[in-house]
Parts: sequence; C-alpha cells; structure tokens
Amino acid sequence: MYRYDEFDDTLVRERAQQFRGQVERRLKGELKEEHFKPLRLQNGVYLQLHAYMLRVAIPYGQLNAKKMRQLAMVADVYDKGYAHFTTRQNVQYNWIALADMPDVLDVLADVEMHAIQTSGNCIRNVTSDHLAGANRDEIEDPRPWCEIIRQWSTFHPEFSSLPRKFKIAVTAGETDRAAVRVHDIGLHMKKNAEGKVGFEFIVGGGLGRTPFVGPTVREWVAKEDLLSYLEANMRVYNRHGRRDNKYKARIKILVSELGLEEYKRQVEEEFAAQNSWEKVVLPQEEIDRITAYFAPPKFEMLSAASPAFEAFKSESREHARWAKNNLRPHRAPGYASAHIALKQQGEAPGDATSDQMRAMADIGERFGLDDIRVAHEQDIVLPHVKLDDVPAVYAALKAAGLHASNAGLGSDIIACPGLDYCNLSNARSISVANEIQAVFADPEFEDEVGTLHVNVSGCINACGHHHVGHIGILGVDKKGEEFYQVLFGGRADEKAAIATIQGPGLRHEEVAPAIRRVIDTYLSLRRDGGEKFIDTMSRVGQAPFKEALYAAA
Amino acid sequence: MSSERPKLGPDIPKVVTAWLSATGRVVYLTQDRNWSEDLADAEVLTGIGANDILAWAAKDQTRVSDPYFMQVTPDGKVAGRETIRETIRARGPTNHPMFGKQAGNN
Repeated sequence: MYRYDEFDDTLVRERAQQFRGQVERRLKGELKEEHFKPLRLQNGVYLQLHAYMLRVAIPYGQLNAKKMRQLAMVADVYDKGYAHFTTRQNVQYNWIALADMPDVLDVLADVEMHAIQTSGNCIRNVTSDHLAGANRDEIEDPRPWCEIIRQWSTFHPEFSSLPRKFKIAVTAGETDRAAVRVHDIGLHMKKNAEGKVGFEFIVGGGLGRTPFVGPTVREWVAKEDLLSYLEANMRVYNRHGRRDNKYKARIKILVSELGLEEYKRQVEEEFAAQNSWEKVVLPQEEIDRITAYFAPPKFEMLSAASPAFEAFKSESREHARWAKNNLRPHRAPGYASAHIALKQQGEAPGDATSDQMRAMADIGERFGLDDIRVAHEQDIVLPHVKLDDVPAVYAALKAAGLHASNAGLGSDIIACPGLDYCNLSNARSISVANEIQAVFADPEFEDEVGTLHVNVSGCINACGHHHVGHIGILGVDKKGEEFYQVLFGGRADEKAAIATIQGPGLRHEEVAPAIRRVIDTYLSLRRDGGEKFIDTMSRVGQAPFKEALYAAA
Repeated sequence: MSSERPKLGPDIPKVVTAWLSATGRVVYLTQDRNWSEDLADAEVLTGIGANDILAWAAKDQTRVSDPYFMQVTPDGKVAGRETIRETIRARGPTNHPMFGKQAGNN
C-alpha cells in the first residue's frame, strides 16, 4: 500500500486546517452558504436530505486494518455508528455535524486519508479493480498507475475547475472489474504488438442522464506518455466542454457532439503540440518508487489443495455455498480472494456498522495480509486469504453478520442511498432493493438463478449504475408518487452495454413480483448447462422478459 | 429532479423549512422567527406575505441554509407532491427508523 511522504502529509493536513477556518467563518456568519458551498464540496461535504454528508476518498478502493478501524471510530464518535460504501469505492457518513467536520478530517489525516477529490468539478478519486494484484488474469498491477494519476491530478491547477466532474478508472485484467467503459476516461492496460504494456484509452463513457459506452480513442499509449496523453484529453475537454448547461457538460457529450474522429484529431494535435518542457514524462526512478509500494506480498509456498478448506466445504451446504459464491481464484497457489458481501437480506446495500468495520479490520489484519479493498459493487474484498484460513475467516464473518453468501448473485444488489438520504433522489432505492433481495431469500433458488446483476438508482443521476445492470431499476417521481422503470440488458464488464428501458414505471410494491416473473421466464428459456441470465437475454431477445415484466400479477 | 422544488401558489398552505447550518438538521420556521426540529411547531403560511417571510429566512444564513417553501395541510401536516420526500425528511430514513425523529432520536 502506498504510504504518504512528507508532501502528501503536509498537503492533506494543510487542507484540513484551511477547511477548519472556512467552517469557523461559516458558523460565525462571515461566509454565506452560497459562498461556502463550493468550499465544502471541495472537501467532500454535501448537504443531504437529513444532514451533512461526508464522502471520504478511498483511492482505488484500498484500505488496511488501521484505516478501517479509524473509519469505524469516525462512525462511532461523529456519526450514528455506521457508514456506507459506495459504487466509486469511497465511504460516506450521513449524519456528521458541520462543526465536527474539521476534527474528522484531522483524524482521517492521522491514517493518511482525506476527502479531497470526492466532489466538485475536478478529477475525482481514481477507481480500479478490487482484485488488483491478486487475480490471475491481469497483465500488471494497475494500482501504481492509479497512484501516479492520483498524485498528478490532486489539486492540478489546470484541472481544478473543469466543466463537470471527471472520473477515471484503471484496470489490467482480461475481465474488466472496474467498469472502465462507463467512465469519463477508462484505462485498460494491454500489450501492444511488441509485447510492451501500455494503456488503451477509452474516453467519453458514462451513466447518468445520457449514458454512453465509451469509444476507444487510442488502442495503445505507452506508459511514459500516460500523463501527457491524459493532459491532451483533459485540455481538449477543458477547452470545448460545455459550461452553459451542466446536463451537457460531461466529456461524453463532447465526444458525441464532436464525433469520435474529430475528437481524436484534436487530442492527437494537442498531444503532438506539447513542448518538451510541458510534457509530463515520469522519471523511471519515480515509477519504480511508487511501484515498490505495491510489491506483491510474500505469499507462502502452499499446495493448491488445502485439506482444511476441503473439510470446511464438506461440513455443510452453508459453507460450501459461501466458498462457491464468495471466493475468487488467486494467482498464488493455496490462496483465494474473499468477497464480504455487504448485502445481508434487509440491510442497505453497502452499509456496515462500526462493529462490522472493526471485524473486517481484524479479519483482514489477521488473515488477509492487512489488505482490504472496497469493490464498486459495494462489497468489501480481502484479496489475499489462505485457503487454510477460510474456516476461521468464515467463522469470524458469521459472528459479525457479514457472511452473506451471495457475491455476484441476485441479492448482491448495487443500490444508491436513494430518497432515504439523498437530496437529489426521486424515489427510495434501499427498500426496493430489499424487496428484490427477498425474491432470492431461498439460497437454492438464488444459486439456481446464478450470476445476476441487479442495480437500483433513485434518480437519473444513476449512482446505483442502473444502466449497466443486467436488470436495472430507476426510481422516478410521478406526481408525487414513487414509480420504478425497469431496464434490461446492461453490463459493466469488458462487454459493456447500456440497458434498455422497457416501458412504463411500476409502483413500489409491483417491482419485486415483476422481477420474480422475469426470473421465472429466464429459468424457462435458458439452455442447459447454466446459461447465464444476461446470455439468455442476449440470445432470445428482451421481448419475453418484457412480457413477463408487465404480465398482470 | 427533486432538488428543484415545486412552485407553490399563494393559496396553498406552506411552511418554511431549511437545514441548521451548524448541524445540518432539518428545521421549520416558527411564528416567533425561530427554527424548530418539530414540524408541529412550524407556522403555516398562506397569502402573498409568505414570500416576505421566505425572504427573511433566506437572510438568516448564519443559522440556516437553503430555506424553501414546503407544502402542508391547513393544520400543518406534510402535503402535496413532495409528501414522500418531506415525510422522510421530517421523520428520518425509512430503512433506519431507529435513527429517525419518529424514534424520538433528536
């Protein structure tokens, strides 16, 4: 894990100190809300439905036990004993008083954390693959490059007042677990014809009001050109991105309106025109210095087979189910990556209590090489767990109520906070997600259905990523009543696709039964051999599913 | 989206609501020009004079942020097309009732 140097520490602490002064002036009435608002947003402080909300950055989703415990302490001392992990690998608190915010930023700084780049029209917190450094299919660990981008973009004066917020994601696996095709810029690490690792630049993807799967602007950019090519893209966007209409201000609209070829031409022109003194060419020693922080841990030389793990699986169907659904293959023999699904039936997706956060810290520290990740699916992942330790890990998770065995299945629902917390939302998300979860309450039925991504957003801003759910749910306001549009066929992986709205919205109580009918239709149509929901839908089309959706209950 | 509040005509009963600047807590304007966390304490307004009271509230920036009109029934209950939003805002999140004001957790 990256460790702050003196510059990082000074920068974060000075920023917290600066915000303390701004808060004091606000509370004395020396700053009006209209003047204070952009300042608080630059520090991750939103004014939500019930109270102020603080969004804390977790760069590329990586935590350790010390940080997780500090986040739990913040939940206990300054909030109401819980926190919410988000689809951008961050964490949010819903109840912190403004007067306490500077103290919270100070205690976050004590563990090398902050709330910078979690709001405002800047380059936001960089996200990545939650299995980085552990999975078998990546060609290189993407985290050093995330960290390089973080350092380059933090307080970058040229890009601190962009037309709109700007989100960058990096992945290096064959399977895209970072949803790079639906980001403003997605970087997919790939080899060129000579076998050299670089970056595919995917630009202009995004969700929200106008969803796009981003097109590839350049198939391969050399590592040494990464920051210069990023700057070329940012400059074209900064120059031409619309500032007159915030709904048309994201780079996806610029790429769409200019057309891909013209956009590419302008970026290449900008890239070629950079003088040698303005190109950001990273010294190799700096790349090496940052990469060293992400050196693979010293894995023990283990057999791929673990008698303890095999015994655990054979002990009960409960154990076997968790192992099947929540463990992922690891690059080192005798290890696995463990998903802690924050999706227990009836709980808000992504929420964890302070006790659960401390439990995850303890488990990660003791059994996970002190490496804890936040996944954009709002789950927590321990990337490095010995198979021999799985029985102990599971027992500890179960004791903390963190043993949901549903990773990647129907009840592992992504959902935004919705109208229960959010000042922008039109409808509740959590309650609808909970009712859909109940459809999959029978473990045998959920396993029979298999891989299924259900994503719920409470408004068109799409924080619940409904456009890329196999089944997406979008809350809408219809004359003061909550309705929910249903979308089919989205996906966020390397075959990214935007889901299609099926038709009129359903009432709150109609959603879960309708989803059940859709699932039953899938089960009746799928091919033998466990054809996945999304594959069946691709093969047969959406019509039978739509018919089931609107069939009279 | 819901952040764009509906316009309320002069005949529609309404209260002024906002967030306390220091804590972010939801509050309602009372007849004596104080702010209460209890909707029952709010002054129900009608007529064009209500706009002057909202303008006064907008200047009370040290104590509150972003005041706006919220529709109510003549006896001060949440009403209108924002009923769900304002009920949740007044009472607390429906998924965590123990944190809401309905649980006496003020």
